[in-house]
Amino acid sequence: MKILVITHKVTQNPESNLFNVFGAVKKLSGQCDVLVVGHNLGSIVDEIAKYKVVSKVLKLDDASLEHILVENIAKQISEIVGGYTHVLIAADSFGKNLLPRVAGILELGQISEVSAVISPNIYQKFIYAGNVLVEVEALDDIKLLTIRCTSFNEHLDLRDTQAEVEEIQYTNIISNKIKFVTINIDNKPVDLSNAKVVVTGGRSLGSKEAFDTNIRELAKCLNAGVGSTRAAVEAGYANNDAQVGQTGKIVAPLVYLAFGVSGAVQHIAGMKDSKTVIAINIDQNAPIFEYADYGLVGDLFEVIPQLLLRLQQF
Amino acid sequence: MKILVCAKRVVDANVKVRVKSDNSDVDIEHSKMSLNPFDENAIEEASRLKEAGIATEIIVVSIGSAKCADTLRTALARGCDRAILVETDMVLEPLSIAKILQQIVLRETPDLVLLGKQAIDDDANQVGQMLAGMLDYPQSTFISKIEVIGNVLLTTRELDNGTEVLELSMPAVLTADLYLNEPRFIKLPQLMLAKKKPLEHLMLSDMDIKLRSTTRLLKAFDGEVKKQCKFINTVPELFEVLQAKKVI
Repeated sequence: MKILVITHKVTQNPESNLFNVFGAVKKLSGQCDVLVVGHNLGSIVDEIAKYKVVSKVLKLDDASLEHILVENIAKQISEIVGGYTHVLIAADSFGKNLLPRVAGILELGQISEVSAVISPNIYQKFIYAGNVLVEVEALDDIKLLTIRCTSFNEHLDLRDTQAEVEEIQYTNIISNKIKFVTINIDNKPVDLSNAKVVVTGGRSLGSKEAFDTNIRELAKCLNAGVGSTRAAVEAGYANNDAQVGQTGKIVAPLVYLAFGVSGAVQHIAGMKDSKTVIAINIDQNAPIFEYADYGLVGDLFEVIPQLLLRLQQF
Repeated sequence: MKILVCAKRVVDANVKVRVKSDNSDVDIEHSKMSLNPFDENAIEEASRLKEAGIATEIIVVSIGSAKCADTLRTALARGCDRAILVETDMVLEPLSIAKILQQIVLRETPDLVLLGKQAIDDDANQVGQMLAGMLDYPQSTFISKIEVIGNVLLTTRELDNGTEVLELSMPAVLTADLYLNEPRFIKLPQLMLAKKKPLEHLMLSDMDIKLRSTTRLLKAFDGEVKKQCKFINTVPELFEVLQAKKVI
């Protein structure tokens, strides 16, 4: 078994997702090589080389990878992948964009959003918006897996000495068919995907102002990430990247607070791994209560201001 | 500009899918089926590009059983000009779908292939990217906006923490996010009109494509985890729960 984990540079630090992928590596064989793609990778490579699960860091550093377009790396990655039995990447917007393209180039299958490792070639994953959990066997010699990060949280030991770092020369042809124009990053106080506490609002907030003064304000007080249902996003109360659910983000915080969330299966798919779910809804028959540990039947417009007041007095 | 869109026939989003009692597979034999919602967004966008005078023809493809003809009729009613059904009773993986689509693309030579970002049954999110890789086309996935400026596509992609704008030359592969548009409501006259539009029938077995399975389904379980909800009545109680859970 030879495992390759692929990651990229977003900030000066390794992506926190990477550590969840390492969790999946520990469930497989415990050792992997890590391919880091990007530009000015010095510090992030050193950071990754500290971990015991890492045998070797492959550094693919080039000025043209400052902003990564898959067209400019997928071919070279498909060549590197040839030396491995398992290739793992976080199922985030980077991994989901890249790995299937590599799979297409190599004509290999891919298993998306692996949530558990049963054996080296058998994995679990959810389908049908989380309604069904399947166990699938991967038949290809090279197993391409995207990892559902919320499902893997392992303790990671550090090495005594840094892992070997191998510099890889950039050989991919730079595509003239695509150009990067701009990127707009939402600077949120707390990152939703990794938040320990999430406060989510549904459509019953009624307006963006109400969403801001209630959900965002409470989230700020609790140092929590802000989540939203699809309906609330479509109504314009929150940005698309706040959507929790089957087609949005998968979150698994320690505490998930749902205000005015009815509990459609598509939403449940994105939050059901949360440790404790607390639902506040005016409708006592709302399905969200079936997935909640604690429920409060009441008007969120009364509950939140009272809660905020208590928090201020605390 | 010629656009190729895809239409997957999936279990309707409102159906709660259950597994068979022997845990061998999902039980969807009698489930209500619909056009995959993300494909609906892709088809809607293609139709708008045609109504804006930018697209000249929209071809829709579906791969699956003969019943996919119904799905294709829905797509035709939504503004597609002609349909291709690749018929097979095999359950196909994303890799196989991408390989079949590759053949269709080589035959039809569209300027733009526009697909849904994922299907709501297997939630794989693979076909568009695989197809782009096979064809060596540029890709823009999870898009919420398309602008066509001369010969280039300006697309806005949804990222985990924001958005990204990419400029692509054609031919290209794009995959639609739900936020791309609000699909229109279809009225009866459009459905009637769709019956007159051409629907070509291809048998997968007649096509020269080598397909194989890359995975084997071993077991299926009910994935739903219901909890026993403890109801509390007051905000002070809620505050206590938050304290007990160390939120405060």
